[in-house]
Amino acid sequence: MNIDVEDLLRQGMLRYTADVRAPAGMARMAQRRRRRRLAQRSVTAGAALAACTAAVVVAVALPGAHHNAPGPTPTIDTAYVTKRVASALSTAAPAEIAHLMVTSSGPGGTSTAKEWSYGDQWRSVVYSSAGQPVYDEGGTSSTYTLVNYSARTWARQRGVAGQTGPASQQTGCVQAAAALSLLFRPRLSAGSPSASVVKLLRTAISCGTLTEAGQQRVDGIEATKLTSSSGSLISETIWVSPTTYLPVRVVIRSAPGSPVSQQTADITWLKPIAQNRAGLTVPIPAGFRQVPFGPTVRPISP
Amino acid sequence: MATDRSTADRSTAELERFLAERADHLLHTAALLTGSRETGEDLLQTAVERLLRRWRRFDGDPEGYLRRTLCNLAIDGSRRAGRWRLKEGLLRTGLRQVPDAASEVDLRDALVRLLWKLPARQRAVLVLRYWEQLTDAEAAEVLGCPEGTVKSAGSRGLARMRELADDWNDAAAAAGGWGKQS
Repeated sequence: MNIDVEDLLRQGMLRYTADVRAPAGMARMAQRRRRRRLAQRSVTAGAALAACTAAVVVAVALPGAHHNAPGPTPTIDTAYVTKRVASALSTAAPAEIAHLMVTSSGPGGTSTAKEWSYGDQWRSVVYSSAGQPVYDEGGTSSTYTLVNYSARTWARQRGVAGQTGPASQQTGCVQAAAALSLLFRPRLSAGSPSASVVKLLRTAISCGTLTEAGQQRVDGIEATKLTSSSGSLISETIWVSPTTYLPVRVVIRSAPGSPVSQQTADITWLKPIAQNRAGLTVPIPAGFRQVPFGPTVRPISP
Repeated sequence: MATDRSTADRSTAELERFLAERADHLLHTAALLTGSRETGEDLLQTAVERLLRRWRRFDGDPEGYLRRTLCNLAIDGSRRAGRWRLKEGLLRTGLRQVPDAASEVDLRDALVRLLWKLPARQRAVLVLRYWEQLTDAEAAEVLGCPEGTVKSAGSRGLARMRELADDWNDAAAAAGGWGKQS
C-alpha cells in the first residue's frame, strides 16, 4: 500500500474549490451588513429610532443600491448562480414585494409601466408617452379593479380567481421564455394565483435554459448576467444582484426576423412595510365615476 | 497589497481591490474549513466585516488577518454547535463505508468529505498545511496555539485520512482496481 494521502487531499481540495468564486463587492457587502447590524441594534436601543432603522434595512435590501466593485470581476458558474437565485427567490416569495419599472418598445412606439407583485396581490400602472397614467389596474386572486384615466371611470369585479392566464397553462420548462414574457403582462400572470412575479422568475431560472455570461454594471451594481442561448426564439436575459442574488433586471427581445421589440423590467425588492404595501392598492381618484365591469372597460393587458 | 500607513486612512475601495485579487482564494479556504460554499461565503463575509471595522487604521497583512479570522470563526462556530461530536459519531459509522468501485478520483472526494468530519482544529490544521501551504510554525501562529498542538492535530487528522485510504485501497485491490498497482 503506497497512497500519497497528502497529495490526494490537495487534489481533492483543488477539485472542490475549482468553481467556487467570491461575489464581487465583498467590502461593500460587509459595509452594508455592518450598517444593518448597527441599525438592528439601534432598534433595540429605543423605539424612537425604529423608523430610521427600517429605512436603513430597506435601503440595504434594495439590489438597486449603488456600490462599486473595482478590479477584475470573476466569472461564476451557472449552476452555482442559478441555485443561489432560486434560493433567493424562494426566500423573497413571502418576504418581499417585487416592484418593476417596465419599458416596452416596438413598432408601435414606447410605453412605460410600473408594477407591483406580492403573493397574490398585484398592481400595474401604464403611462402615456407624456408620463400621465392611462390605466391603473390591480387586485388579488379574488378581486380586480381597473381605473381608466382617459374615461375618468373605474370598475371593480369580484370572483376572478378562476381567470387563468397563460402562466397556468404552461408547464415545465417548455415555455421558459413565455414565463418571462408574462412579467410584462401583469393581469394574465398575477391574476392567476399560481403565477406571481417571483414564481415566473423562478420558473425561468429553474428551467436550465439560461447560462451565466459574466458580469455587467446595472444601475450602479456589478450584476451577474444570465442569458438564453443565441438560437432561442426569444432572447431573454436576467441580471441578478451579486449581493442578494435576486433579479434586478429582465430583458426579452423578439426573435431575429420579426419586428424588433424589446421589453425591459427593472426590479427592486421592497420590504412589506405599510408604506410599500400601499403601492399594491389601486387608488380611485376623486371625481371618477364607477361603471359596471364590461367590454367598455377595457383591461390594458394585451 | 501595501501595508504602510503613509496615508492615514485606507479607503473601502482599497479593500475592495485587495478582495478582487484575493477573495477567491480566501473563499476557497473558508469553504474547505466549513464544508459548504454558502457557509464559507458567510464566514468570509463576517471576517471581511471584522477587517472593515478596523480597516482605516489597519496596519498589517490583510490576508493574514482574514485567514486567522476564518480559522477562529470556523473553530469557534464548530465548538459552539458541538458539531464535531456529532460528526465524529458519523465518522465511526458512516465514513468507513467503501464504495464498490474504488477510484482515485472518488478517493480524493472522499478525503475532502472526511476532512469536514474531523474536529474543527484538525480540519483547520490540514487546510492551513495542505491548502494554504503553511509550515507548522506558521499554522501555529495563525491558530494561536503551540507548534506541538498543530503537529499532533495534523498527524491525528492525517491518520484518519490514511485509514480511509487504506480501506479504499484494500477494496480496490480486491476488485482488481488501481490500488493493486501502487
